[in-house]
Amino acid sequence: MEQTGYTNPQPNLDAVFHALADGTRRAILSRLAKGEASVNEIAEPFDISQPAVSRHLKVLERAGLIERDIDEQRRPARLKAERMIAAVNWLADFRPMWGTSFSQLDDLLVQMKQNNK
Amino acid sequence: MADLPEFVIDREFDAPRELVWQAWTDPEYLHRWYGPGVETLIHKFELEPDGLWLNEMKMKNGSFFQKVIFKEVIKPEKLVWHHCSADSDWNIAANPMMPDWPRILLTSVVFEEKSAKTNVRLSQIPLDATDAEIACFAKMKDGMSGGWGGGYAIIDEILAELKAK
Repeated sequence: MEQTGYTNPQPNLDAVFHALADGTRRAILSRLAKGEASVNEIAEPFDISQPAVSRHLKVLERAGLIERDIDEQRRPARLKAERMIAAVNWLADFRPMWGTSFSQLDDLLVQMKQNNK
Repeated sequence: MADLPEFVIDREFDAPRELVWQAWTDPEYLHRWYGPGVETLIHKFELEPDGLWLNEMKMKNGSFFQKVIFKEVIKPEKLVWHHCSADSDWNIAANPMMPDWPRILLTSVVFEEKSAKTNVRLSQIPLDATDAEIACFAKMKDGMSGGWGGGYAIIDEILAELKAK
């Protein structure tokens, strides 16, 4: 199979599920849907510390649901809308559950064909 | 029966039917692809009518158990099974993440070979389902929101805000 230039359109679903499984993180996403915000601004309405918010942001960042500026001191976080929509579409339609499995089956069949030679 | 929502997915695989059948029916291969990017453990696999496939998908926050009861095994053309969500003792039970997800889905998989490639058509219909299960399945099938714990409501709000921009 031609893999050059291939980018996986599916977010890392394990990471996305993990990120969305927490109420605080979903609330942070709601906040960011209104516009970018710094850690302080995000922490304000929540009864949690700034380091705790930072940890949540890291989880969201790893799942690819948000991005953060590197060179600014505030490091405002912002929702990656496309990724968010892709992840939600996945959740909302289990077709990709089969889709992801089937992509894995493609790879396995390539191996099986080689082994049969 | 005619009103039940049916989920259908067609997929072509670049391999002869015999090989695709093997990948679906040999647990050594099956556990390597079945499940979206998770570790899959096959606890039992009996490929015969009324035989069981007991499957565990290991998620970060616990396992997801499925009990499959084969109904038809026509090598290498067709498989029919009851696809059940289960508890950790393999009793048929509601999916903890989606209580209204149908407990039993009548699943059929048809393998057709066309010039060294194989088309697989998988279809699922709720079986012995409650109205709530049928409604949940119909919603999910069409890619709309619903179920999935409390997460969906909030996610819907986020999406609405994004769209409003």
